[in-house]
Amino acid sequence: MLIFSRYSWWVGAMVGFALLLTAASQVGALNPMQGVFLTVTAPFENLLTSIFRPVAGFLGDAGNINDIRDENRQLRLENEELRNQATALQLDSERLKELEAALKISQGATSQQFVAANIVHRDATPFVDVVSIDRGTNDGLKAGMVVVSSQNTLMGTVTDVFKDRAFVRLITDSRSKVAAEVLDTKSEGIIRGSANRTLTFEFAQPDIKVGDVIVTSALTGRYPAGLRIGAVTDVAGTPQDVTRRVTVEPGVRLGTATTVLVMTTFVPQNLGPAQP
Amino acid sequence: MKNIVIAAGLVVVALAQVAVAPLFPLAAAVPDYGLAALMAVVVYAGPRSAMWAVPWFAIVFSFASDRSAGMLLLAYVPLLPASYLLSESHLPLNRYAQTLACGAGTGVWARLLLALGPIAQGASPQMGTLVGNLLISGLLLDIVLLTFVYFPLKAVGFSPRPMSLQRTGWL
Repeated sequence: MLIFSRYSWWVGAMVGFALLLTAASQVGALNPMQGVFLTVTAPFENLLTSIFRPVAGFLGDAGNINDIRDENRQLRLENEELRNQATALQLDSERLKELEAALKISQGATSQQFVAANIVHRDATPFVDVVSIDRGTNDGLKAGMVVVSSQNTLMGTVTDVFKDRAFVRLITDSRSKVAAEVLDTKSEGIIRGSANRTLTFEFAQPDIKVGDVIVTSALTGRYPAGLRIGAVTDVAGTPQDVTRRVTVEPGVRLGTATTVLVMTTFVPQNLGPAQP
Repeated sequence: MKNIVIAAGLVVVALAQVAVAPLFPLAAAVPDYGLAALMAVVVYAGPRSAMWAVPWFAIVFSFASDRSAGMLLLAYVPLLPASYLLSESHLPLNRYAQTLACGAGTGVWARLLLALGPIAQGASPQMGTLVGNLLISGLLLDIVLLTFVYFPLKAVGFSPRPMSLQRTGWL
C-alpha cells in the first residue's frame, strides 16, 4: 500500500518542498525568477488574451441580449441625466473660479497623477479577485498604490510589483477591506469583498438607504478621501438594528474592465515618501 | 524530448489558466486546465513524468498567477498517490473511471485548499458559496474537462501507463 511504496517518499518530499517554496516566497526569494518568467511569457499571454477575450465577450453578450438591451435603455436615461448634471457643475465651477478670483483665494494642488495600464489577466474565483496589469517598477509603481477606473472609481490596490508587471487586488476580493463613508451622511464603515464577488458595507448606520453613494474615507490613510466605490443596492434588517447588512454594487464593471489607472502621487501611510 | 514537451506544454497550460480560463466560468468556478493537463501526464506519460511535472506546474502557475507556489503544490499533490491507490485497489473501475475519480477528487481538494488561504487571511467563509458555487460547479467542470482530455488523447494513439513504480528503476 501507499505507506510502503515509493509514492510515500515522493509525497513527503513534495510537502517539504511546498514548505520550502512558501518560506522562499515569504522572503521574496522567488521574485527575481517570477519577474523573468512574467517578462518572457508576457507576449504569449497577451496573445492568448487578445484571442479569447472577444470570444468570451461575444458568448457572454449572446446569452444576455435582453439584459443588455434593458441596461442600454437605462444607461441612455442615466446618460442624459448626467449630461444635465455636468452642465450644471460646469456652471458652478466657473462661478466658483470667479468667486475665488474675487476673494483672492486659490485651491491647493489636489490633482493626482496616474499611470494607465492594461489588464492582462484576471484571477477570479470565489474568495480571490486579482488582476495583473502591464506596468511595473519601470513605470514607478509600488505595492500599496491605489488603482482606479478611467472614471476615477476605486478598483483596488497594487499588491505585488515586478519590472513590467504588477498584480492588483480588486475591492471585490474577499481579503479586501476599504475604509468608506456614505457620501451624503458621512457615516463611516468598511467596504469588504466577499466570496461571491459582491461588496458589503459593514458597520453601516441604520439610516442608510438604497441608492446612497459610498466613497472612500481617509480614515486609515490607505486611500484618498472621496473616491467613488459604488452605490447601495440592498439594505437588510430593520431601522431598529444597531447596524444593517448593506450590499453595494461597485461603480465600475470589474469583470469587463480592460484599462485601469494607477494613482502614483498618492502615497498610502504604509509606504515611504513619494519619489519625485 | 518527451520531458521537454511536457514542461513546455505545462507552461502554456499555466498561461492559459490565467489568461483564458477566467473568461469561461461556470457559476463562480473556472475550468482547471492545470488539473486536466497533470491528469493527462499521470495517465499517458506515466508516474515518473508526473513526479516532476506536478511541482513544475505549481511553480510556473504560481509565477503566472501570483498565488502561493507551496499551496498550489499541496493542492495538486494528491493526483499521483490517489491514482496509484485506485489502480492497486480491487474496485471494479476501468482506467477512465479511475481518471475521473482521481481528477475530480483532487479538483475538490484543490479548490477547497485554495479557498482556505483567503479564509485564513480573514475572508468570511460563506459556506453556501463555497460548496454551491465553487465545489459543485468546479466538480462538473472537472468531469467535463477530464473527459475531453482523456478520450481524444486515447483516440490519437496514446495508451494509459501503469501506475506501478516497482519494476522500473530505483524510484
